[in-house]
Amino acid sequence: MTPRSVFAGRRWQLALTAAALVVGFVLAVQVRTERLIETNLQVTSGRLGEVAYRYRQVEARQAALRGRLAELRREIADEEQQAAAGRAATEALAADLARMRVLSGLTPVHGPGVLVMIADSTRPLKPGEDPNLVLIHYSDVHAVVATLFAAGAEAVAVNDERVVGTTGIACVGTTILCNTRRLAPPYRIEAIGDPHALAAAAMAQGGILDELRAFQFPVTVTVESDVRLSAYTGTFVHQFARPVDAGR
Amino acid sequence: MVIPILGLLAGLALGLLVSFQVPLTYVKYSAIAILAAVDTLLGGVRAQCEGRFDLRVFLSGFVVNTLFAAGLTALGDLLGLDIYLGAVVAFSIRIFNNIGFIRRDLLGLVWKTPPLEAGET
Repeated sequence: MTPRSVFAGRRWQLALTAAALVVGFVLAVQVRTERLIETNLQVTSGRLGEVAYRYRQVEARQAALRGRLAELRREIADEEQQAAAGRAATEALAADLARMRVLSGLTPVHGPGVLVMIADSTRPLKPGEDPNLVLIHYSDVHAVVATLFAAGAEAVAVNDERVVGTTGIACVGTTILCNTRRLAPPYRIEAIGDPHALAAAAMAQGGILDELRAFQFPVTVTVESDVRLSAYTGTFVHQFARPVDAGR
Repeated sequence: MVIPILGLLAGLALGLLVSFQVPLTYVKYSAIAILAAVDTLLGGVRAQCEGRFDLRVFLSGFVVNTLFAAGLTALGDLLGLDIYLGAVVAFSIRIFNNIGFIRRDLLGLVWKTPPLEAGET
């Protein structure tokens, strides 16, 4: 028998060819896959389990980091929101403060208003007449200021001394005291507010100026388009007054 | 003998041309299965050399050995045991055996050497 005749069986040839075809195919695919794994992962297929383990670990860590990132992003957003809220609150406070400063006379202000000038009477005294009758008293100045405030004045000054919440107008001997300054005639009372309302109130019949004029005091009321008042320069002391708690 | 070799080459060419890949999870199993298939292939050649080739034995061996080798490897993975090493060793030994027998048989066919004695490869 020769090799040729030994391997001549048709069934054998067919079966072996089919099997060889399958083996060859799978072998080639396997080799290609293995080479792919080696080039891509730098490990042999035997260590794929290890690679998978590492991969899962890295993936878990990445997921954790992703979660942390989202958390940090949320925190940043929160902080930003809080900062914005804080800024808004601060702005509101600043606006409030500015308004309060204006109202309390701590800032120089200007605006339309009136100028009231009053002075001691120049008429000669009759013999035996009380000299008080020709002098402007603190009560007259106070009455003018009160009239102007009542007519809606937002800022008032007497001889350039701002009238604020704690201002007292008092009599000290022969002069008038406003805040801590002694006033000397003529008295220049300036007020900022609706000029017509202020002028009307000042010149109202039976009002203080009307009365002073009746007693021959020199009185003038002028409407000013731009009255300029300087700021209150004194101090605010509250030693005894305490705010009442809102809850009580 | 030429036609099966051509079949092998054709299979190799087909496998290299087709862009099919073994899924990474099964690479280990397919490697063992290939070893088993190669062993069966050589067993078929050897059987023909010795004039006792049986188609049913060959085909059933081809299928069962392949599946069993892969299955054993899978079982080893389930148990955390490298059972596939046993399959590798067993099939490698068998492949060497088969090659030895085929070599002997072919030599005997050409030069009429005396039949193989037991234990010698």
